[in-house]
Amino acid sequence: MKGWFEWAYRDMLSFFPENVSTFGAQLDGLFTFVYWISVLIFILTYFLLIAFIIKYRARPNKKSYHFHGSNIVEFTWTILPTFLFVGIGLFSEDAWTKTKYQMKVPKPDVEVDVIAYQFGWQIRYPGPDGIFGKKDRFQMSKMNLFGIDSNDVNGKDDIIIENAQLHLPINKNIVVNLSTADVLHSFFLPNFRVKQDALPGKWIKVWFNGTKAGKYEIACAELCGSNHYAMRGEIFMYGQQDYDKWLDGKNKKMIELQQKQKAAELTLSDSTTTSQGS
Amino acid sequence: MSASSAVAHNHHDADSHGHEHHHGHDHHELSFIQKYIFSTDHKVIARQFMFSALFFLFIGGFFALLIRWQLAYPGKAIPIIGNLLPSTWVTDGIIQASFYTQLLTMHGSVMIFLVIIPLAVGMFGNFCIPLMLGTDDMALPKLNMFSFWLMPPAAMITMGGFWFPDGMAAAGWTSYPPLAVINGPGQTCWLIGVFLIGFSSIMGGVNYITTILNKRTPGMTLFRMPLTVWALFITAMLIVLGTPVLAAALSMQFFDQFLGSSFFIPDNLVTTKKFVGGGQAVLFQHLFWFYSHPAVYIMILTPMGIVSDVLATFARKPLYGYKAMIFALMAIAFLGFIVWGHHMFQSGMNPLLGTTFMLSTIVIAVPSAIKIFNWLGTIWRGNIHFTAASMNALAFIATFIVGGLSGVFMASAPIDIYIHDTYFIVAHIHYVLFGGALFGIFAGIYYWFPKMFGKMLNENLGRKHFYWSFIFFNLTFFPMHILGVGGHMRRIYDPYIYDFLKPFQPMNEFITIAAGLLGFSQLILVVNILWTIKFGKKAPDNPWNANTLEWSAPTPPPHGNFTEDIRVYRGPYEYSMPGAKEDYAPQTKQDIPSEVEGEIVDESMFKAH
Ligand code: HEM
Ligand SMILES: [Cu+2]
Ligand SMILES: [Cu+2]
Repeated sequence: MKGWFEWAYRDMLSFFPENVSTFGAQLDGLFTFVYWISVLIFILTYFLLIAFIIKYRARPNKKSYHFHGSNIVEFTWTILPTFLFVGIGLFSEDAWTKTKYQMKVPKPDVEVDVIAYQFGWQIRYPGPDGIFGKKDRFQMSKMNLFGIDSNDVNGKDDIIIENAQLHLPINKNIVVNLSTADVLHSFFLPNFRVKQDALPGKWIKVWFNGTKAGKYEIACAELCGSNHYAMRGEIFMYGQQDYDKWLDGKNKKMIELQQKQKAAELTLSDSTTTSQGS
Repeated sequence: MSASSAVAHNHHDADSHGHEHHHGHDHHELSFIQKYIFSTDHKVIARQFMFSALFFLFIGGFFALLIRWQLAYPGKAIPIIGNLLPSTWVTDGIIQASFYTQLLTMHGSVMIFLVIIPLAVGMFGNFCIPLMLGTDDMALPKLNMFSFWLMPPAAMITMGGFWFPDGMAAAGWTSYPPLAVINGPGQTCWLIGVFLIGFSSIMGGVNYITTILNKRTPGMTLFRMPLTVWALFITAMLIVLGTPVLAAALSMQFFDQFLGSSFFIPDNLVTTKKFVGGGQAVLFQHLFWFYSHPAVYIMILTPMGIVSDVLATFARKPLYGYKAMIFALMAIAFLGFIVWGHHMFQSGMNPLLGTTFMLSTIVIAVPSAIKIFNWLGTIWRGNIHFTAASMNALAFIATFIVGGLSGVFMASAPIDIYIHDTYFIVAHIHYVLFGGALFGIFAGIYYWFPKMFGKMLNENLGRKHFYWSFIFFNLTFFPMHILGVGGHMRRIYDPYIYDFLKPFQPMNEFITIAAGLLGFSQLILVVNILWTIKFGKKAPDNPWNANTLEWSAPTPPPHGNFTEDIRVYRGPYEYSMPGAKEDYAPQTKQDIPSEVEGEIVDESMFKAH
């Protein structure tokens, strides 16, 4: 029974997971604003409803007031909510343009690609050269979800993280290029107040700026099949130094890997030429 | 007097039905099948819609309880029935993830397409329109019969995946491609089934519009129609304008799914099923919501009309702002066609459109607010009689306020970022559809049952049903707002693999228990209906002393409905006229006796309103 009634005695707003993004506070603020307006309207209408139910309950020998309504009253209660609701809309506009308009996405300090698939996420960093390889939709496959163009040298050293772990620095503008290899998914970062559906055939820019180091969760919010629920990912937010350390480590590994590959290729091509020569 | 009866007689000449039925000569008996099964009598069709929808209410409810079991106790075997279910659904009595997605899909589809729409539109449309307009039947009775008889096969096909190893449709009631398109034959069945249900809706809608425009009895001007009929009229227009778009969307998805076209599939999808590509996934969402947003109003406008009629009757008061209520219905219907994008704020459509749809959506909350205020105005200074019908109508107002307010949160696009696809949406849906539409439907059932079946429902059981439903409804769905604020996603098989959702297990457990009791409470209604049909007290012609025309017909109304000529003299809501002897003034009665013996109330003095 412990926790059964939490919804009844705890303030609704206290259930938000901790906010760790810059615009998150603005979004939560908007929610809180509409929440208090709603509470007010709720109290007002419920008060009238309950008061009328009690006061005007049927009693013998009583007659109702024969009245069909009045235009002035109708006019008033049309205009007032219109102003109120349109006000909420206009008030919301700023947060919406800021968070979602593609042309207003800030200049990235860190840019990563995230691709969703059934059932997980892959993340791509540009690698030691700091440049992403070009993407080619027609080269997308199970082995190459991002569709990295095999003819682009910049793509050779791109780092792909397959276990859905995103590593990022705090206090930096992060831009995620989001898409999906198969069906719809939705990139949901509860603590950052970020949610964006991933659309096949389209790369969408999602941005945020984290304010607190730590480990957070990535969820999928759009039904994508039986294992939709299992599309859990993680996001690690570091201070700049820790982030650099992590990134250097990754880049070094990639350089080593590439050297090993080159060596392997060399021996391989040697052996093929000799065999052809004989 | 003589002028009026002449008009009534003209009406009769044009109309093949009349006194003959009453007197019985030259009227041959219909066979059992014609009378009760393939009947063209609107009242029989209404009952057929009612019984089939109540049947599906329990199927859909059963699915919901399985979903709730899983959310409260993931990984635990379903008690009692767990081991009876087939191995494609459960392993060792535990629900499988694939079956869970089928459950949530079929729960939504059944409740929307086979319960709420058939009850709100099929049942009340059929029963109320001819009776409240004072006519003998629908304009197109045969079409009416087809519109019902398409439903059973359509329902069977919708759930047809049952017979395939892959199971039923599993892409949600919204059926978004590409997921829906790469799914198996269950999805094909769903597409065909829902298409046919839509076809049935259109046949009904065309019929309602024709009937309302052409078959009103003399004196029944448009602005003397009760709000239930107005609501059905506007609903029918929504159906006729919206459903073809759904049909197009479903057909295109069927082509993609079954014939390999690519309306909704972009180039080179990394899936095992291969497509030509070149399509757009969001296009489906636009088409789907262009129908399905109006569809939410298809589900609620009629209950709104019913609530208006029921409240006026039981508060013994004219409906406050009759015309304002009609204009609000029209405004909701019109605006309902330009707000569909609010379901797609996070879908990846151009965010500029998000701004547009945010503003139109927020404006649609205004007519909803107007309706709330007018209902409050209706009970203000009334003389409210509490019956199962009026209590359900009052509950409608209470829950619709909550549902409308949660709508305002989601209508704000930036607030919707966080709560979209969470339990906040699930809470909203159920406050408007269960708390709103279904309570309105219950009010209608309690109100018109005596006329439909000729027996009085047991009021005691009716109240029990109301109290239990209202309490457990709120206990089930209110906490879902909180889950949503906590970030709890909808359509999740096991929430607790996420650390941030682990603390919500006890709350989910609580909700599940409340949901079980809510489901159980609905049995009271079924018991009441079945018991009443067998043993109930005979109903008088006008048990509620109401004004509208159906109460002037015999109970239950015979084939052809009315046994005498009827003519309408006034609007439907003239309750408690000052100086009148009775507190009601039937629309069919020309002279209203005054308190003073032998005199007649002069209505011209109130006409100014
Ligand atoms: C004040 C009026 C209303 C407003 C402003 C409103 C607003 C919204 C918005 C913005 C959404 C999308 C939320 C999201 O997916 O993120 C939504 C969803 C929904 N609304 Fe409403 N709504 C209102 C009334 C109603 C009514 C009267 C009904 C039904 C009778 C209804 C039924 C639904 C349903 C079924 C969904 C969810 C569909 C789904 O995704 O499965 N709403 N509403
Ligand atoms: Cu998913
Ligand atoms: Cu909508």
